[in-house]
Amino acid sequence: MTDGGMSGGIGFAAALAAWDAAAPAPARACGLKVADLLRGFHPDHRPGGMVQLVAGPNEGAPCPAQLAALLQSDSLLEDVDLAGATILDADVLVLGGGGAGCVAALAAARAGARVLMATKLRMGDGNTVMAEGGIQAAIGAEDSLQRHFEDTLRAGHFAADKALVAALVGDGPDAIRWLVREGMSFDLADERQRMGGALLRKKPGGATAARLLSYRDFTGLELMRALREAVLLQPGISVLDGHPALELLTDDRGRCGGAALQDLGQRRLVLARAGATIMATGGAGRLHLAGFPTSNHYGATADGLVLAYRAGARLREMDSFQFHPTGIAWPPHLEGTLISEAARSAGARLVNGRGERFVEELAPRDVVASAMLRELAEGRGVGRDGKLGLFLDTPSLEREQPGILAQRLQTLSHLAHRAGFDPAREPFLVRPTLHYQNGGMAIDTDGRSALPGLLAAGEVTGGLHGRNRMMGNALLELVVFGRRAGASAAADARQERPRNLGLNHLAGWRRGLLAAGLGLEAKGPLLFPPYGNVTPQDLRRHAA
Amino acid sequence: MSETEPAGTPLRLVFDGHALQARPGVSLLQAWIAAGLPLTENVGCMGQGVCGACRVLVRRPGERIAGTALACEMPAEEGMQVSFIDHFPARRPHAYDLSALTDSWSIPDQIDAVFPEAKHCRHCSGCDRACPKGIPVQRMVNLAAEGQVFAAAELFDACVMCNLCVAACPEHIDPAHLGQFTRRMHAALTLRPADLMQRLRQIEAGEQPIDLDAPGASPPVQT
Repeated sequence: MTDGGMSGGIGFAAALAAWDAAAPAPARACGLKVADLLRGFHPDHRPGGMVQLVAGPNEGAPCPAQLAALLQSDSLLEDVDLAGATILDADVLVLGGGGAGCVAALAAARAGARVLMATKLRMGDGNTVMAEGGIQAAIGAEDSLQRHFEDTLRAGHFAADKALVAALVGDGPDAIRWLVREGMSFDLADERQRMGGALLRKKPGGATAARLLSYRDFTGLELMRALREAVLLQPGISVLDGHPALELLTDDRGRCGGAALQDLGQRRLVLARAGATIMATGGAGRLHLAGFPTSNHYGATADGLVLAYRAGARLREMDSFQFHPTGIAWPPHLEGTLISEAARSAGARLVNGRGERFVEELAPRDVVASAMLRELAEGRGVGRDGKLGLFLDTPSLEREQPGILAQRLQTLSHLAHRAGFDPAREPFLVRPTLHYQNGGMAIDTDGRSALPGLLAAGEVTGGLHGRNRMMGNALLELVVFGRRAGASAAADARQERPRNLGLNHLAGWRRGLLAAGLGLEAKGPLLFPPYGNVTPQDLRRHAA
Repeated sequence: MSETEPAGTPLRLVFDGHALQARPGVSLLQAWIAAGLPLTENVGCMGQGVCGACRVLVRRPGERIAGTALACEMPAEEGMQVSFIDHFPARRPHAYDLSALTDSWSIPDQIDAVFPEAKHCRHCSGCDRACPKGIPVQRMVNLAAEGQVFAAAELFDACVMCNLCVAACPEHIDPAHLGQFTRRMHAALTLRPADLMQRLRQIEAGEQPIDLDAPGASPPVQT
């Protein structure tokens, strides 16, 4: 994969010598205003990267070309495919089995709903389990909900929905208590003080207070372990692994009433009918927008966005993606894998091929990533075996805080071991990696979309992060809005049920595609990335 | 070893019955993908090693017994024989309700009631050999059976929920779920941070209002 504008950089041996001679690296002034840095170097602003959507609820809005092609694709299904399909009924259908899906399923089941959870891979597989850094909640005495609210808005360039952000930060402390009740652990400032005492707090990039709570540097794994057991043991939830959604079902009044699922094991179609459907399908990193590697899990292919958009749900900020500053650039077999912001939070510096610091490491992620891309574009990167990156100076961090790599940055040390070097002696080679979809489905504070019967939670939603997400707000979002959407869905399912379910929205959708001159050849959703060596059409063929 | 890119002849291995070639240095999962084989299950985090989805049986040339591993973490080697291990549910659920577990004096009874097989451990160490993370699983089982919750929970700190120990246990102890039971109990019954509880009290008393129109909630005025 290539992304244009990168020159060869400085050779690894020369760069290593420059780093070694200068460490700890002296800072070089940036010389550019933040707005100019973002405009010049953030991938969202790449010339020709965005196209205008010409069909659907967001007609006229900018969107990355690869995503637009999927959003404006035709269905994989025809009415005839539904005949004879297996039918399952539930009160609430949850699409997606990551963090948001699990929280939503638990909340709906505990509100009395019969819940069906359908997931493409396996319950628990998703980006949540891979989250490393932590979860934000304003619990410090010097901190406040108001500060968390304003920090989130500012980091998102004031593009977020204020009511959503207020709901997010306002539920924050209660979300932490909820997680502890589910059996999730958190790091303490003093491990002996389990009753009383204080949670360990770190400062996320762009924050005005130490607000990031964590469990070592695998917070998402700890969260997901507790949630997975909770879902498995919760009466009233049935889990269907290996059942990606191919289409939403709509009734003759345009209300969403479930989804058509492809049973990958039996190669058959299943119609899951429900009073309310919660979209919790996560993000789009595996589309490798702008040719970037990604830190996302295998299933992050924007399926939920495609289905919701086609059925009439409005999206927002679809032209805004987060590139995490520190993905691995070398060795190639770990390319794109994330090194947590916890490393920079702890004090690790970013250093270019000349041995210089070039950015305040804890500035917001979009600023740090843009500054890194600028170094690479202007020839100050480090080249190694054809890969280009910048140094993450772990040896200086270890010298300044002996033992930190082994005790607090275990995942990082484990990655270095797999890359074949000692992070206490040699710096990592890193570069920005496609990490998070800032925008998504527009929702209200109860998690409802504009399409009746369809709710959403987690990364698939938009409006919470504006145009740049703060570290630690993604895990918080999935808990807060998973709970809200689950409770709303259980309530909605008690209302009048959808009737005459089918693919009622497709006729109008296809008319729209043809009217826009797009044709019906392109099909979606994608389900698996191209290197999965299988298309949805392959999976539909040989159907029993 | 990190100085040069491993080069040279491709490795030959057999993966789920497919004879394939792989570049030296790639993981088993990358070898499968590079061979053009379809990948729709047994995959998740693609290399971070945290989701436990890509479980494989691996046998090297000359070895009599196959071992278990995660395909995203295990480098391909010459002559390996590999097969994915599909996920299957535990034989029976070990059901409990964490929120109903309020009497912490009864913890040994609770563990015994939910996981009665734990005290029947045969000490075969099949679970230890199965664990791709090197957790001393059997020791955790024995500690949990004695009611040593904190010690058992700490041993399961690195668990990635691959459930290979569940598949390995001849007594159907379900060590992975027992480990999570101790971890969840540990947090839910004993973690009570004062700072969090203070903030919750303030919120419930209405002392943490959010002003949507505060000056800091809008872009600074351009001059």
